[in-house]
Amino acid sequence: MTSLRARAVTGGILWAVAIIVLGLAGLSSYLSSQTQARFIEVLETRHSQAVVAVSNNSEAASDLVRAIGDLVYQVPDSGQYWQVESAEGAIYASPSLGEERLPRPAGRSEERQRREIAGPNGEPVFAIGQWVTVPDGSTWHVQVASSLRSFEQEQVVLRNTLLTAFAFVSFASVLAALMQVAVVLRPLNQLRQDVSGRWEQEDGMEVGSYPIEVAPLVNDINTLMERNRDIMRRSRRQAADLAHAIKTPSAIMRNELDTLMGQGADVQEARDALDRLDAQLKRSFARMRADGTDATLAVATELDIALGRMQRAFAAIAGNEGKTFNAVYTEGLRVRMEQSDFEEVVGNLLDNAVKWAASEVRLEAGQTPDGQIMITITDDGPGIPKEELEKATQSGQRLDTSKPGTGLGLAIAHDLIHAYGGKIILSKDEALGGLAVHMRLPFASAKRAD
Amino acid sequence: MRILIAEDEPVLASQLKKTLTSEGLTVDVAIDGAEAQYLGETEPYDVIILDLGLPIRDGLTVLKNLRSGGNDTSILILTARNDWTDRVDGLDAGADDYLTKPFHMAELSARVRALIRRKAGKATPVFSRNEVTYDTRTNQVMVDGVPTNLTSQEIAVLSYLFHNSGRLVSRTELSDHIYQHDGDRDSNTIAVFVNRLRKKLGSDLIETVRGRGYVIKATA
Repeated sequence: MTSLRARAVTGGILWAVAIIVLGLAGLSSYLSSQTQARFIEVLETRHSQAVVAVSNNSEAASDLVRAIGDLVYQVPDSGQYWQVESAEGAIYASPSLGEERLPRPAGRSEERQRREIAGPNGEPVFAIGQWVTVPDGSTWHVQVASSLRSFEQEQVVLRNTLLTAFAFVSFASVLAALMQVAVVLRPLNQLRQDVSGRWEQEDGMEVGSYPIEVAPLVNDINTLMERNRDIMRRSRRQAADLAHAIKTPSAIMRNELDTLMGQGADVQEARDALDRLDAQLKRSFARMRADGTDATLAVATELDIALGRMQRAFAAIAGNEGKTFNAVYTEGLRVRMEQSDFEEVVGNLLDNAVKWAASEVRLEAGQTPDGQIMITITDDGPGIPKEELEKATQSGQRLDTSKPGTGLGLAIAHDLIHAYGGKIILSKDEALGGLAVHMRLPFASAKRAD
Repeated sequence: MRILIAEDEPVLASQLKKTLTSEGLTVDVAIDGAEAQYLGETEPYDVIILDLGLPIRDGLTVLKNLRSGGNDTSILILTARNDWTDRVDGLDAGADDYLTKPFHMAELSARVRALIRRKAGKATPVFSRNEVTYDTRTNQVMVDGVPTNLTSQEIAVLSYLFHNSGRLVSRTELSDHIYQHDGDRDSNTIAVFVNRLRKKLGSDLIETVRGRGYVIKATA
């Protein structure tokens, strides 16, 4: 079982059940014995009253019905009976017995004898009987009996009352356990929300705002998040260093091959292999970069800065080829992307656009009504045929090999944009006639307070 | 035309030097950022090829220092980094063009030629004056459509004068742009090259301004 809540609730319920069962058993046994003792006590009192009545009326035994005048003895089958028997065998009984008689125990014990016997109509009764000698010297067997049915009914009522009470207590305990668990687990829930929220922030969580039991965990999570960011930064740097280390030797090999080719050697296959190697490396590094991107990190790029840089750089690049580049964008826009990734995307796309444009490349950026950032790059080049548009963003698809390049620009841009939860759509541009690349990027809202 | 190659990888630097020299360009090599900056500040280069990953002082710093010192030589940056951020940093700091490693040597020479041409305010790669045409892509010189054989020094002188058409170029400036940094310089040999060019291409192409230098008149 891995849920803390389930553990706590189950544990609480098991405890409650154990306590309730034990409590119920103990209490009901105690109350039951108390009831039984009271039942016998009442019956003994009645027996004593009967003995006193017999002592006073031994001369006129027929007056006993009046002497033992309790009303409960007058009603037939009331459940309360008395029966007095002389040594000679004359039997006097309460009207409640009607024609029935209680059996007399054998022997002539002068001790009180308590026993369960079959009463009128076979009804079980509890009887107390005793041989007494009254002051005039005569001896009598005085017996009182009480139906056990009422006693059993009383026991049932008692048990039901107890069960109802305990059911209520159980329900209350479970509720209390649930509430307690909720209260105890609240800091953990808070922690979970904080952790998912804090991935988006550079600063860690406030350790002091958690209970002391949770605070060390919060501390550890802070360390872990910091380490994670560190590892990501490091692997990116290492990937870039590796790319750097491999490219210069690759350039040297390429030049050697070019020289050999100039001398008439057939090196075409080696050149093709080197081209594939370079393309694969470029692709892999781009992938590594896209995979290493944590889109949940609260990064933001100010488009005024990033697009300003791109505008100056690409005005120069386009100018070198006798083409023009214009960027028009709303001020104050921010995208939820790291600046280097944003520049990687826009750089690749603008590079493509400048390469293919006949004379003009445009960039427009603005905010959509639903708050996202829309960037469109268009050129007046040949564009991409409709049926090829889908293929164009896939890995290393060079649609036209007449210009230098690896055919990776669109694919790299596509991967990075997707890593940040954005979208890229290609179409034909109606105004300029060439390719239009539409990018929908997540908007970075509030400025960080730093 | 003089080129500075700032590249710390000796094999690549020598390959670059070999290629550009074979195209009639004069090439110096700097193997670290400090040397690159020193040469860039003290020698009159036409193009600087600057690797961004230089030791001692990185290429971006060299670029910024040169530009802030008022140096407006055309600069082509080389980067091995995939990141566009690096390239944009370079272009933003005043580089004129960039190339990412690995590159094709042919592309590099085309970019270098384009930079030289652009500085001269020339849109096409072919210069022509009177009956002489000079194709900067092939270093082919023709007179009335007939190819002429020129030595590499002769081409260097002709190329510099064509790229500076309409401007008087002194002998010192010419020798500054056709000799290496540590090469033997003799401005008298410049006169020899000019005389040979006159013989091969006709006497009215290059005009001498006595005591001051030479000029190829701009095409009207």
